[in-house]
Amino acid sequence: MTLMSMIAAEFAKLARSLSWTVVVLLPAAMVLAGALSSLVAGQQPADGWHTVWLRSVVFYGLFPLAIGVAVLGSLVWRAEHRGGNWNALMSTPVSSLRLVAAKTAVIAALAMAMQLVMLLCVTVAGKAVFALPGMLPARYLLISGVIMLATVPLAALQSGLSMLLRSFAAPVAVAFLGAGASTVLLLAEIGPIVFLSPYALATRATQLGTGTFADGGEIAGATVGSLLAATALLSLVTIAGAAAILDRRDTRT
Amino acid sequence: MSVALIRAEIAKMRRLRTGIIVLVMVVGVTALAVLSALSSPDFSDPGTRSWAALLAGMSLAVPLTSPLLLAVLASRQVDIEHHGNGWLLFQTSGATRGGLCRAKLAVLGAVVCAVTAAEAGLVLLAGIALAVPGPPPLALWWGYAGAVAVVNLVLLGLHILISARVENQLAGLGIGVLGTLLAVFATGLPPLLAHLTPWGYYALATAAGYRDGELVTFVPGYASIAALAVLGGVLFAVFTTRFDRREAS
Repeated sequence: MTLMSMIAAEFAKLARSLSWTVVVLLPAAMVLAGALSSLVAGQQPADGWHTVWLRSVVFYGLFPLAIGVAVLGSLVWRAEHRGGNWNALMSTPVSSLRLVAAKTAVIAALAMAMQLVMLLCVTVAGKAVFALPGMLPARYLLISGVIMLATVPLAALQSGLSMLLRSFAAPVAVAFLGAGASTVLLLAEIGPIVFLSPYALATRATQLGTGTFADGGEIAGATVGSLLAATALLSLVTIAGAAAILDRRDTRT
Repeated sequence: MSVALIRAEIAKMRRLRTGIIVLVMVVGVTALAVLSALSSPDFSDPGTRSWAALLAGMSLAVPLTSPLLLAVLASRQVDIEHHGNGWLLFQTSGATRGGLCRAKLAVLGAVVCAVTAAEAGLVLLAGIALAVPGPPPLALWWGYAGAVAVVNLVLLGLHILISARVENQLAGLGIGVLGTLLAVFATGLPPLLAHLTPWGYYALATAAGYRDGELVTFVPGYASIAALAVLGGVLFAVFTTRFDRREAS
């Protein structure tokens, strides 16, 4: 089987997995919560689009993004842990690397779709709720592109955890812990953590160009470059690691 | 609810690594509460350090950390019955689905109460270690801890019911994530709106916070929390009784 047909098979399995509820509801709830807290406080976003972005995307990056990807990972692997599906998977004439890559691709695609829903919700909130002038500035589209790429290692890691742990909830708990610890390290301005922790990488990407935490406020080429380098490095290491582990797994009785 | 059922639930916890999740909860809340107090401007000078800052830190850390981890605890303890066909096994050995859920709440509930007490106790010890001046407000401290324990128990019961009723654990965890958002943002909502969801009651229990830029202590809304306890208890009893009448599957 080619990688493309495996990815197509994974998407077919997703059709009835309810993963769309996570992709749509999580970003929508984040933006709604941010907008509501502004409305209840009776204040307009002081800095226009920047404030709306801070209250939704930056907060989303602190830990809800990691949890969302973790839930998606558990959903994508859930089918393989049920009935006799694990043994069917083990006896499929497909290399572990391809299987892991296909699962990661599907989870990453859903995570990227989540960012697109986020963009849409932020735009709707800015226009319909706060009647902000103009459209969402183009820089946020660029930032979203970086965020989408930076979720790939996170997708690969959560895919690996959901592959190993049959429980739905356990990988989500790991993501919560990982995201919390990474946020504390970013708060302490330990920048190189993005090369070690996929959670820190995704969180750091959501802060790009906002001036929060360790960010300078501009979209600096060096920052984007190091984020993309970390993305490539962590994706390769995580996917290869998960494939090596899956290679050593056997059928279960 | 028999002793054997309780012992079975305790035995299940070992392989479910409940201990690790519990440890994460205690360390997470304590660390976040102390870090948030340390980062407040009042804490930079040892003379102006206050117990209120630590209580405010806890009032931030508890709603941020508890809802999702309670969902995880409940989901782990219930999901094994779906995986291992435990409902049918227990039903054929005389324990109904509702009875099993009540045993799970009893065992996990005891653990959650111990977790809450440990969180409050550790933050108190941290305050003593940081040499916060003056005697700690013990009545308010343990009153707050008791209120949080009640909210935790109600949420735990809710998550046990959801995890047992809906086999796909997405439901329970998804509600846990949305609950975290509700809990965090409820602090900024008017109290009337905070009453509408169980997660809002964390905000009603808040023991200290900033009002007009001043750090002050509040009296937790004990009456609201008591009402939540009664309502939660009655609903849990009603739903588990309905579970008892379901046919074995």
